[in-house]
Amino acid sequence: MHLNQHHSRRSFLTRSAQLGLAGVAAPLVNTLGWIGEAAAASASDYKALVCVFLYGGNDYANTLAPYDDTSYAAYLKARPSVALTREALAPMLLRPDQALPGGRHYALAPAMAPLLPLFDQGKMAMLLNVGTLMEPTTKAQYLAKTVRVPPKLFSHNDQQSFFQASHPEGAATGWGGRIGDLVAAGNGSATLTCINASGNAVYLAGRQAIPYSVSGSGPVPLLRNSKTLFGSATSADTLRQLMTGGGQTLMADDYAKVVRRSLDTYAQVNAALANAPEDNFGLFPDYSLADQLKLVARMMSVSSDLGVKRQVFFVSMGGFDRHNGLVTQQPNMLGAVAQSMKAFYDTTVTMGIADRVTSFTASDFGRTLSADRDGSDHGWGGMHWVVGGAVKGRQIIGKPPIVGSNTPDDVGRGRLLPTTSVDQYAATLASWFGTSDGELTTVLPNLAAWDRSSWNLGFL
Amino acid sequence: MVRAPVTQEEASRFLLQATMGATRADIDKVMTLGFEGWIDEQMAMPREISHWDWLVSVRVEGDRSYISGTGYGWDQTIWRQLIGGQDQLRQRVGMALLDFLVVGMDGVTGSWPTMQVAAYMDVLMDNAFGNYRTLIGQITTSTAMGSFLTYLDNRKGDPVSGAEPDENYARELMQLFTLGLHQLNMDGTPLLAGGEPIETYGSDDVAQLARVLTGLTYANADKNTPDRLRLPMIVNESIHEGGASTVLGATVSGPGATAIPAALDIIFRHPNVAPFLALNLIKRLTSSNPSPAYVASVARTFVDNGRGERGDLAATVRAILLHAEVRGPGALTNPSAGRLRDPVQRFTGWARAFNAVTAGKWKIGDLSAITKLGQSPGRSPSVFGFFRPGYSAPGTQVSGAGLVAPEFQLVNEQTVLSFINFMYTTVSGGVGDVKADYTEILAKATDANALVDEVVLLLAAGQLPPATVAAIRAAVASISLSKSDGLINRVGVAIMLTLASPDGLVLR
Repeated sequence: MHLNQHHSRRSFLTRSAQLGLAGVAAPLVNTLGWIGEAAAASASDYKALVCVFLYGGNDYANTLAPYDDTSYAAYLKARPSVALTREALAPMLLRPDQALPGGRHYALAPAMAPLLPLFDQGKMAMLLNVGTLMEPTTKAQYLAKTVRVPPKLFSHNDQQSFFQASHPEGAATGWGGRIGDLVAAGNGSATLTCINASGNAVYLAGRQAIPYSVSGSGPVPLLRNSKTLFGSATSADTLRQLMTGGGQTLMADDYAKVVRRSLDTYAQVNAALANAPEDNFGLFPDYSLADQLKLVARMMSVSSDLGVKRQVFFVSMGGFDRHNGLVTQQPNMLGAVAQSMKAFYDTTVTMGIADRVTSFTASDFGRTLSADRDGSDHGWGGMHWVVGGAVKGRQIIGKPPIVGSNTPDDVGRGRLLPTTSVDQYAATLASWFGTSDGELTTVLPNLAAWDRSSWNLGFL
Repeated sequence: MVRAPVTQEEASRFLLQATMGATRADIDKVMTLGFEGWIDEQMAMPREISHWDWLVSVRVEGDRSYISGTGYGWDQTIWRQLIGGQDQLRQRVGMALLDFLVVGMDGVTGSWPTMQVAAYMDVLMDNAFGNYRTLIGQITTSTAMGSFLTYLDNRKGDPVSGAEPDENYARELMQLFTLGLHQLNMDGTPLLAGGEPIETYGSDDVAQLARVLTGLTYANADKNTPDRLRLPMIVNESIHEGGASTVLGATVSGPGATAIPAALDIIFRHPNVAPFLALNLIKRLTSSNPSPAYVASVARTFVDNGRGERGDLAATVRAILLHAEVRGPGALTNPSAGRLRDPVQRFTGWARAFNAVTAGKWKIGDLSAITKLGQSPGRSPSVFGFFRPGYSAPGTQVSGAGLVAPEFQLVNEQTVLSFINFMYTTVSGGVGDVKADYTEILAKATDANALVDEVVLLLAAGQLPPATVAAIRAAVASISLSKSDGLINRVGVAIMLTLASPDGLVLR
């Protein structure tokens, strides 16, 4: 189980909450105008993928709720204690360009209202029942164990890893890093290809690419930029020398290497970010996730200073393991995600690079449809969404799972057997980013199990 | 038995594995008593005042904030004991247990989270040298764990609403606390079938165990005081699933009061528990990559302490600390050996080495912000703890060698510098109302070499390579003693440079 989101300490900037796209142009053009100029220099050849990881396993059924009469009735029957009301869902009904088969309809969680305009404007697509798979799998095959399925299903740490890396805990590389491997050579600063704004995650580790970690407030200066240690410049020099020198063990040597990367990159990143002061990025609300996305936006705005053309970012939020408090807590968290992703998208619009930045969600797994009491349990497939100017939005992609128990989509308690694999999801993102078909199977080793015609899900 | 005398470096190395930090007095004591004699003395030592009782006593003094809220008092009582407690072996083993039998303050719900976590830590501390089956039983009935893993008031399935028992605790009890995901040989290596690891349990076992683990609730209805939060939960049989449930191939049934202990017995008898626990404790006390022989030796002690008892933690801890692999000289020349001391241990190591004292109530606070240590006792964000025992940082030499370095999960470009910045402030001016008392070490500061040798002994068991020691000595000697703060600055530099050296952070 994971914690609730941490609100950052800074004050909440209310204007961001209400701003729609129309509102951005007028009041913010002054504060953000010059960022647009700065970004313009590189905008013609810049692309970024931003993974928004929802740690703990987001409850799918209260994120994208069934809305047509039959499906809603089945949903209500399956989880009466935690179901969203039809009245609350009504204003959140999604109206995709192409209606779903069988008269199926979905509504977004009310807390995700900030994202609804993006869906309607065609800047956001929803994906149905995405999950970790090793090859296409039917329920019969799953039950008969005649196909390979990801090991350790329903286990947090392993499924987090499998989503990020196509391998359970202990994976050496993730698909974000493997995508990074292919583009790092084209970046002036290869170190800044894969950037994690939320700590460590295997997603960004490549075969060569090593993720660079930076906190929401930017890189930390050694000794807070003091040139002396206890008044001694000699000692400060020795400090730097010892921290970066070789170690007598593999571990000490590895540790020193991280320090070297940190010190080598600090000046470059810090100088560049000085040209992108936080105050100029005023759309973001007061959540840790928003702080991380703000840092991503600041980094992107100085991408030409940093000499990078292709970047893979990772941000995250915890607290989604709602065995309890699903009704009271998940809306706050989805609200934070929606507000943060909306602010991020609006910022990229103002920067003039919205069509060069795609953000997408990921999570350990979806959850059960049946309730524990006031929560749900670990599951498998889940609902995800993609936001960006290049997104072919106003689409609901994938096969709508039949709602209920003992359906062809249910492997117990309303755990969804995924009908879209993480590999297809990743392949679509990677293709847009520039990964060639030939390279895709290197990035996503399990992808070859799917028919080539299904590699691209068509949302980009 | 004639034994070679313990050197001061050997004593410090031992103390950095068995305590929250070495002191000059403890080094002298280990040299006098020997390793086993010191362990005997520590295990015979009564506990410090319990966390619960200390918090209550502080409240009695009039400051209710200590027991209310999420952790104001918790941080005080835990730092107070980790740094100042005489029962250092128990403190260290208690922290090792908390590292994988995780409860984190912010995930604890209900009233008085501080008191719940304090009561939980008291369970770990009371049982640190007891029996693991007893410990697992008391954890299962702890209200803190009940709320953290959401099984407090867990109800049996309801055919009308379709609600099912919460599987959270059932799953993590097996995955994280007792068995792990894969069947293990006694030496900790995976048991293979056709070249593939064998899963320890399946989804059905989780669902069935979840049925058994229904009905646990508060011991009484008194909401006006925190008292019930330290009482074991009892079973409300009206919401307990009374039917037969099959867990790991054995069937239990009947009232929760008997079915729950019976299910815990089944789990405790599983052959994985011994190597699983051996691996977990070894990795947190002595070595990230123990040899199979070391794991097997510890696991065998867990299975039978020599008197036919299974699960004796005192014997298990003793076997871990006394094994030749970590007491002998072999590891000292093995570049693959060692364990990265975690940030909390480095911080308490400083505090203990230099007699940190409080001006009042140990107001160190929560140090888990990434601008501080990025880690703090009882502040884990999830049941997976601050780092996973199998973590191997991608792209490192450690991972290339097929080894693990769990504590590296907290290591990145920002935390390595934040640690130095935080410790610089702390070494200079203390943290909260806690400050070092450098009187003893200042006596050595006129002699740069003697000063550095003592600091490197206390913080790094003298394990720095000669070139590093020479560099630190030179930096220290460069600080003139003509100014009034020359001596104290020399002490500060010696400490910071030892803490900055990666070789000083990895203990072998």
